[in-house]
Amino acid sequence: MKYEVVIGLEVHVELLTECKLFCSCPNRFASEPNVNTCPVCLGFPGALPQMSYDALQQALNASVALNCEIALYSYFDRKNYFYPDMPKGYQISQYYRPLGSKGYLVIENDSGGDNKVGIARVHMEEDAGKLVHASSSVSAGSSGTSSSGSSSMVDYNRAGVPLIEIVTEPDLHSSGEARRYLEKLKSVLQYARVSDCKMEEGSLRCDANVSLRPPGGQLFGTKTELKNMNSFRAVEKSLDHEIKRQAAIIDRGDEVVTQTLRWDENKQETIVMRSKLEAHDYRCFADPELAPIELAASEVEKARAALPEMAEARAERLVNDYNLPEYDAKVLTASRCLADYFESCLALYNNPKEVSNWVMGEFSAHLKNAGLEADQCSFQPEDMAELLKMIDEKLISGKLAKEVLEKAFQSGKPPRKVVEEEGLLQISDQSELEEIVDQVISDNPDSIESYRGGKTKALGFLVGQVMKATKGKANPQLVNELLIKKIDG
Amino acid sequence: MELRKTSVRQAVEAVYNRELTAHKLIEQTLKNCSILNETMNIFTHIAGIDALEQAKAVDRKIENGAQLPLAGVPVAVKDDICYGVLPTSFGSAAFKEFISPYTATAVEKLMDAGAIVVGKTNLDDMSQGSTTLSSPFGPTLNPWLAERAAGSAGAAALATGVCMLSLESDNGGALRQGASDCGVIGLRPTAGRISNYGLNTFTSSFGQVGISAFSSENISCAFEIISGFDERDASTAVCRDRSTEKHAVADIEKIKIGYPVNAFDYLEPGLREVYEKTRDEYAARGFMFEEIDLTLLREALQAYYIISAAEASSNHARFDGIRFGKAGKATDLEELYCKTRGVTLGREARRRSVFGTFLLSKGNYDCYYRQALKVWNMVREEFAAAFGRYDIIVLPAVKSLPRPLDEEKEFIEDWADDLYCAPVSLAGLPSLCLPVGRVGQLPVGMQLIGPPFSDEFLVEICNRVFR
Repeated sequence: MKYEVVIGLEVHVELLTECKLFCSCPNRFASEPNVNTCPVCLGFPGALPQMSYDALQQALNASVALNCEIALYSYFDRKNYFYPDMPKGYQISQYYRPLGSKGYLVIENDSGGDNKVGIARVHMEEDAGKLVHASSSVSAGSSGTSSSGSSSMVDYNRAGVPLIEIVTEPDLHSSGEARRYLEKLKSVLQYARVSDCKMEEGSLRCDANVSLRPPGGQLFGTKTELKNMNSFRAVEKSLDHEIKRQAAIIDRGDEVVTQTLRWDENKQETIVMRSKLEAHDYRCFADPELAPIELAASEVEKARAALPEMAEARAERLVNDYNLPEYDAKVLTASRCLADYFESCLALYNNPKEVSNWVMGEFSAHLKNAGLEADQCSFQPEDMAELLKMIDEKLISGKLAKEVLEKAFQSGKPPRKVVEEEGLLQISDQSELEEIVDQVISDNPDSIESYRGGKTKALGFLVGQVMKATKGKANPQLVNELLIKKIDG
Repeated sequence: MELRKTSVRQAVEAVYNRELTAHKLIEQTLKNCSILNETMNIFTHIAGIDALEQAKAVDRKIENGAQLPLAGVPVAVKDDICYGVLPTSFGSAAFKEFISPYTATAVEKLMDAGAIVVGKTNLDDMSQGSTTLSSPFGPTLNPWLAERAAGSAGAAALATGVCMLSLESDNGGALRQGASDCGVIGLRPTAGRISNYGLNTFTSSFGQVGISAFSSENISCAFEIISGFDERDASTAVCRDRSTEKHAVADIEKIKIGYPVNAFDYLEPGLREVYEKTRDEYAARGFMFEEIDLTLLREALQAYYIISAAEASSNHARFDGIRFGKAGKATDLEELYCKTRGVTLGREARRRSVFGTFLLSKGNYDCYYRQALKVWNMVREEFAAAFGRYDIIVLPAVKSLPRPLDEEKEFIEDWADDLYCAPVSLAGLPSLCLPVGRVGQLPVGMQLIGPPFSDEFLVEICNRVFR
């Protein structure tokens, strides 16, 4: 690449709180639209906001987790613009005095070294509602006339949900760094229990600013803004796409134009949303309906001291306490809920390496396929422990256990029930097996000869035949013993 | 019962002694409201069966031994204060039939004490004015001279005897100027002492719920009940922090009164004489008036209009036709906004929204808004310094007599009428307006202004000195 890539990210994260930012409506998903609403979050005239201290605490926790300096005096501003998802006609945000600033996260750069990515600011704000676009083929009202075109509806369940916006300095230099930054950010915020950071569900949203310049250049090139990326992968891909697009423009001798682009996941390309960065004038001013936020230095120190264990520390602990390989510890702690899952399993089934193998291997593969996090699937730690216990009890083979896990994972049934329903219980009944073993021996005289002639491999073939006949349910060790006894005896 | 000649205490006693029932009192009051409203245009809505049911409920509670300090007391509520039973118009024709899903804290507290809301009172376009002349429902007539405006419809309701208490709002002086125009007493309390939850104000920094009545004693009864901390209004936190602080009145004859002589130069003819005569009368009785300089009145007025218009542009943004406001037929958002806002906001509200948008725009913010914030601070400091030397400051409430109904004035002259009231709003100080004289038939009121939290003190001074 003959250009230096400069990327800055703006990430919005929904905070985990009981209530919305300025009213006592629940901060919770609702299947019905507009049920988590009240006069305050619907912007009724005369209804006043009350700041949630819970949300402030979460924003403070996030800010200290991101190594920010904390403003002991900050306040909320109004960001004024008209849009239907904003019931008040303005968004309450922190413009002039963000809660956190001058923070950083260290990530791995493309050459394996460290990149200390500066975090310019962390500020609190309220989320907007959601527009639901529906084409209205339904006849409108009693007149019976059918309206053509489409209509939009607004769901205010999300209006007023507490967010923090985390803005980096232009310190990222590749799409890979951008992805690693997001992964690190997600890990830190999950470990700090500030947010569940689920991009697919919208609890983490990312916009990117990207520009190119000659290597070692001092001035920034013209930047474009990327929106509508719904996964870390989409962020990486859209940045790659945009970097190539900008490079081609500069190669041609043309100039990059300031614009906002939207990532189209289907077409796998960026599409121009606005041909120029719309010159929004948000007319920000301090919200007169909210008191300034004043924090004592001791409260900030308390938040710093109370920060939960982060990924690195936890990985170290897993190695020390459970004697796990470093690789396992790193994989398991990549997300807090996976690590939580692992430790919950351990509490029920105390064999760290065995649990680690299953959680890292089969379980993680199924999560990935289903696009779920460990705390979202129905296969609970209790189920994992039960599965492993069944192997120990020789009720199922390890191989069969994989099948049981898959079925339990998909059906949501407990593994023991899957085994019962599917008739997968291992056959350890000697008389039942003897019959089959006898049959296999009489069917395969050649193999018996080979075995007797010293080709021990032939035994493996015979065991396989028994397993096949029992559809994998036979206890392999017992089959082995029986065969040897019968052939040699 | 003649409401103007009866104190709240007497009325409540009469209800408790069963001389009359709350139901009877309210029934008669509602009748009077309807009759009077035909000529005076005081109410945007008059209560009906609901108020009678509430009155019956109050009577039942009394029989059951409940202690209701405002049992059966008829109250008028300005139509920018939400009351979930009657429509709340906010001074916009588009909201004529709008029923708020909730009730303002101050109204709730009055009702919990047994008071009955008899009607919602008329107001200027989105509360922006102190005349009622910009009301989309037409002006309220002055009870003393029908060809003049009432200033405040709630004050007119008191003066005509169709309520005993009027719950009002004051931004740049509507409550105080209305009290002056109608010859009643009005209290704009210290910022935050009465909850503003449920008040649709165009300026959140200066909008404040207050109370008017025919006597300072009645003000006191109501204030005791509706003031105090409300978790739904952040500005009332001051009550929690300083609720026990009281301004002691050791020797009321010895209070020191600041008299800003320079301020009186702006008065229209006739008014100055009223105020000077008042001063001379009380000085003759031995009260100590000292001339002081309030140097920032004009700048304070400008700062008030800059900050309040900026806030108005934001507070009124919700009237965009999506959830609030009358939506015209439109094919896209831009058209919807334009049509809705053109209809929902009247001329004055549109003017201030546009002005405020201009003031907050890039470049202008620093030139105007930021400068106004500085003036705001300076005004607070000037008043604070003055209260180091004086117990109270007196100022005129109005610059001119109530406006003739047919007089067209430049808007800027209307704004200038807030010269004596807006600076007090800016400083967040309590101000009690009381009648001190007349020019012809028309009453003239004067403001007693005290330091923060001297509300009760002002009421007491009014009660004992300026009777």
